[in-house]
Amino acid sequence: MSEKDANPSAKDANPTANESLVGGDLLSRWEQLRGREGTVVGLTAIFVALFPWLFARAPVISDFLQGYQSLATLILIWGIFAIGFDLLLGYTGLLSFGHAAFWGGAAYAAGIVAKNVSGDPIVMVLSGTLFAILFAWVLGFLSLRRGGIYFSILTLAFAQMMYFMAASPLAFLTNGENGLTGVDVGSLFGVLHLEADIPSVGGMLLGTWLYAFVGIFFVAAVAVAYRILNSPYGMVFRAIRENEQRAEFVGLNVWRYKLMAFIISGAFAGIAGSLFTIHGAYVPLQSLFWTESGDIVVMTVLGGAGSMFGPVLGVGLYLYIENIVSTIQVLTIPFTDIVLIQDFGYYWHLLLGIVFVAVVWVVPDGLWGIIGRVRTFVSEKVGGEQ
Amino acid sequence: MTPLLETENLVKEFGGLVATDDVNLTVEEDERVSIIGPNGAGKSTLINLITRRLDPTSGDIRFKGESIVNLEPHEVVQRGVSKSFQTASIFPDLTVRENAEIAALAAERGAFGFEFLKHRDSLTDVHDVARNTLDSVGLLDRANTVATDLPYGDKRRLEIGIALASEPDLLLMDEPTAGMSPEETKSTVELIEQVKRDHGLTFVLVEHDMEIVFSISDRIVVLSRGGIIAEGTPDEIRGNEDVQEAYLGGVEI
Repeated sequence: MSEKDANPSAKDANPTANESLVGGDLLSRWEQLRGREGTVVGLTAIFVALFPWLFARAPVISDFLQGYQSLATLILIWGIFAIGFDLLLGYTGLLSFGHAAFWGGAAYAAGIVAKNVSGDPIVMVLSGTLFAILFAWVLGFLSLRRGGIYFSILTLAFAQMMYFMAASPLAFLTNGENGLTGVDVGSLFGVLHLEADIPSVGGMLLGTWLYAFVGIFFVAAVAVAYRILNSPYGMVFRAIRENEQRAEFVGLNVWRYKLMAFIISGAFAGIAGSLFTIHGAYVPLQSLFWTESGDIVVMTVLGGAGSMFGPVLGVGLYLYIENIVSTIQVLTIPFTDIVLIQDFGYYWHLLLGIVFVAVVWVVPDGLWGIIGRVRTFVSEKVGGEQ
Repeated sequence: MTPLLETENLVKEFGGLVATDDVNLTVEEDERVSIIGPNGAGKSTLINLITRRLDPTSGDIRFKGESIVNLEPHEVVQRGVSKSFQTASIFPDLTVRENAEIAALAAERGAFGFEFLKHRDSLTDVHDVARNTLDSVGLLDRANTVATDLPYGDKRRLEIGIALASEPDLLLMDEPTAGMSPEETKSTVELIEQVKRDHGLTFVLVEHDMEIVFSISDRIVVLSRGGIIAEGTPDEIRGNEDVQEAYLGGVEI
């Protein structure tokens, strides 16, 4: 809430057209634009539009990356999950080890609705998200009674109870160990088949309607999360993270704000979980298992907890290693036939662990922290010339 | 007229130890009261009971005539009792401005709201309160500094600023000059006197520095072993033999 943010119109009214476009000016203009909501949402939309093409279809670069369409979709889905999770972990300072309950719970809710009520993708997302919100309300109410490690363990315990329930007592609904198979996802607005490719340029960029559908939710998730961070809530969340007792003693109902943080992050997990069901037309029992809760923690911390886009970066790297690096059979020195490691892909967990440890040691604020440092470095270099 | 703050037969026991022993304290509106007493006399316990950080063993606390013993700490603040902490209890990674805005938000918009999709730039009332508060504690020119980067004296000023931005009717100050250099102490005393002038605030001060206590207070309450042993104007307390005995072991003040 600096002065410059408070007065955007004053700057708009004075576009100094004759300004010389040296680096410093460009940079300071960029710094002005960077924080604005429109810029953030616009850049996110551009990223979403270009990402699958760069990742899966562009010449050279996609050959190098070995990406594919379906993984691009999956990265955005987990990205939504991570953005919401970071509101809780990075901004409010609450470590939940039970978010699989909302991710997997919403995935099942969307799948069960599709099987029994309607396979309309919008209905699926709405019902999955609604389930996650209500469930987060209940679990938050019970878990937030305790702070610190006890809170984390309580969330873990509740989520594992969910896993157990889905595995057998509720197997008539969830199909137990086999996961929820045969989810029949309907067409969007009754006409667009999500698995079909988008015609012409849209198809070249985005690929499938499914990606476009997920992409819209991703952009919306970024817009909403960014707005939350710039609302009174964003400030209150960080205040709770910094000094919970003081927040209570300035007259804020800390408990209710924490519950809201929990519910909001549950809602993001719910949207993501529902999209996951639409994406796979299947809900694995695994989606409720505690390792999913662990994955989202690792992704968020890897990318940079307490930053808006860091967690998405963490998701990208994690899923990339899990899905693409893990398929590399023989690691050779590039452009030669010299074999470094046989069965390289087999060690992907180890590689991920090494990357994670290295990031946490070297840059505790995650991959996004590296970008932040580069930016500071560049602006000092360029700004210094003025 | 009902006193602003009133405690009635207030008792706090920790195990077998009586930290607050049947205290009947009244604070009238527009009064500046200091609580003094030797270490372990129960001064901080009394403050913590009033702010609801601790539950009393028995007795009642009334603010503006209404009992507050069943309220949560944030509800007590919402009623108009604010506290500045003995140590600088600030939000270290937030800017100075945001530190004040957090308190102003609670004062202007209540303990909780659903405005999570409202941009904070539109909260002009909150900005105004925060700006005025920072101005009166002399930190407006440091508004964009991250709080943890402030020197210690300024952190304590910010601490008082946060308490003031809650727009209290009663301000409780727990040793505002503890750990300060003589210069910082001097400027804090000036700040308190200025706040007293500008805001016409009622406050209760817990303080070790007798010079400050005697120059600032309308009335002094002396605690010893949890109970009130004397109260009166600075002049009355200065000449009170009980106080000298309990507090200074008979040495002249």
